[in-house]
Amino acid sequence: MEINDQPGGERKLACSDVTKCFQLLESILDGEMGETGQELMKEKLAKCQPCFEHFHLEQAIRDVLKTKCTKQPVPTELARSIRQMIQESK
Amino acid sequence: MSEVQRRKYSQEEKTAIFDGEFMPHIDSMYNFAFRLTFDEDDAKDLVQDTYMKAFRFINSFEQGTNAKAWLFRILKNSFINEYRKKSKQPTKVDYQEVETFYNSDDVDYQSTSDLRAESVKDMLGDEISNALNALAVDFRTVIILADLEGFTYEEMAKILDIPIGTVRSRLHRARNLLKEQLKGYAQSMGYNTNEEEED
Ligand SMILES: [Zn+2]
Repeated sequence: MEINDQPGGERKLACSDVTKCFQLLESILDGEMGETGQELMKEKLAKCQPCFEHFHLEQAIRDVLKTKCTKQPVPTELARSIRQMIQESK
Repeated sequence: MSEVQRRKYSQEEKTAIFDGEFMPHIDSMYNFAFRLTFDEDDAKDLVQDTYMKAFRFINSFEQGTNAKAWLFRILKNSFINEYRKKSKQPTKVDYQEVETFYNSDDVDYQSTSDLRAESVKDMLGDEISNALNALAVDFRTVIILADLEGFTYEEMAKILDIPIGTVRSRLHRARNLLKEQLKGYAQSMGYNTNEEEED
């Protein structure tokens, strides 16, 4: 990955522990880390360019999946036929 | 159902639980079923079967617990046991194969993708959906559960009967595979991938 001329320029260009950092960032993005996660994340993103980029890509992926995936309309008769089957099975 | 049978619900209670806690999830259930089977009729049958089972085993559902996760677990098991064989879309990776593939929870967290967040944000719903649908069923499933349905790792572990560590690593792999798919789209659409952009 090409990393250069980033705004501010104070972030490290190499992550000292990609495995640990990325795993942590992904858990935070998945809402698994609570408050502590938010603090840790802010710190990482301010200091480390690979973490910063990884975070934004992972966040974009989650956002588009959540908001853009086409929903399949539920067949209108499905709920009714389920109730009917239940009724008949009683 | 692994849950302990606590007590028997009355007929009225059963109806109240079924209508109040199970039926509201029909949209999510149908969408999950459709994304597993890629077929409207199979998805309908799968959802119907799931609700029939849910009603039959309603005494093992503890009121106040997560009905949606409970239903998704039944649906996923029905899919594996009954529908997977006849599913029209052949899955690229066999379940056993996938399990062996994950034998360790060790996954590669190297930064491999040169896909940019900006390109992802520009993509259309159909491109995202197609990329998701192209994944093998076990990878597709964890993404659906986590990102489309918002389940936690713990809920996913219960739905899929796998340890939380496996949920995390499978999800990571799944998203990496999805990024590969999206990168293909990005390149074919001429979106910027690895070139530098002005900030
Ligand atoms: Zn880092």
